[in-house]
Amino acid sequence: MSTLNIGGSQIDTSWFLLLSAVLFILGTTGVLVRRNPLVILISIELMMNAANLALVTFSRQLQNMDGQLFALMSMTVAAAEAVVGLAILVDIFRTRDAEDVDDLSELRG
Amino acid sequence: MAIAVFFVAAAMAVLGGIGVISFHQPIRSVLSLVVVMLALSVEFLLLSAQFVFAVQIIVYAGAVMVLFLFVIALLGPARELGRGRLRFQAWLSGLFVLVLLGLMWAMLQGVQYRQPDSKADMSIFGTVQAIGAGLFTTYLYPFELTSILLLVAAIGAIYLSRKRIDDL
Repeated sequence: MSTLNIGGSQIDTSWFLLLSAVLFILGTTGVLVRRNPLVILISIELMMNAANLALVTFSRQLQNMDGQLFALMSMTVAAAEAVVGLAILVDIFRTRDAEDVDDLSELRG
Repeated sequence: MAIAVFFVAAAMAVLGGIGVISFHQPIRSVLSLVVVMLALSVEFLLLSAQFVFAVQIIVYAGAVMVLFLFVIALLGPARELGRGRLRFQAWLSGLFVLVLLGLMWAMLQGVQYRQPDSKADMSIFGTVQAIGAGLFTTYLYPFELTSILLLVAAIGAIYLSRKRIDDL
């Protein structure tokens, strides 16, 4: 076990990682269960945030700034992904109502 | 004190995450995600990542979430229709997710943390100064690639949302 000294009190590193795991699991559940493409994108954002928390936690544990830099890069990727995903959704919604991802199966062949 | 802050923020994050996947209107999911992001920014501050904390609030909770809200406002209130088919899918994904959580829990029990190689200067850890030094020396190349990525995303978004004159 390993603890972080934060403001004089000791907090286990694994607590932060457990919170990150729980949030990631919630995001996975959202992607698997929900049918609205917009909510699926939101759940992916949730998973990215959970991954960022894990990166920053390890950065603090190893006292190495690289994890935080990587978290910033990951935020950039998340922003780009959200922009392109939302543009595709708007383009689809312009021609029809896609309230269910199963309605968008033309590429299945 | 820090422990109390950690647990309050963690509870807010988990409740917000449950809200994201359980609300039936997308706009409530987005607002729950904003709650998660604000709670996570508190955790970042506990981990002495001050700059990441600021970026999380300004860029993520500020810009990205407002983009989601704009799109929802543009598309109107779409409600999710309950479908009868593939109902076993929910049970199956619940099982899958429980197995995944169990795996992560087991991993956290057995993990051996590496201790820091050398004592870093904690007075500048996570400040803009330290982040900037990293971004403009060691990670200059990935940083420049990031700007190209954002440019490509912007061009892609403009291309996808243009008016198609030739279709008319």
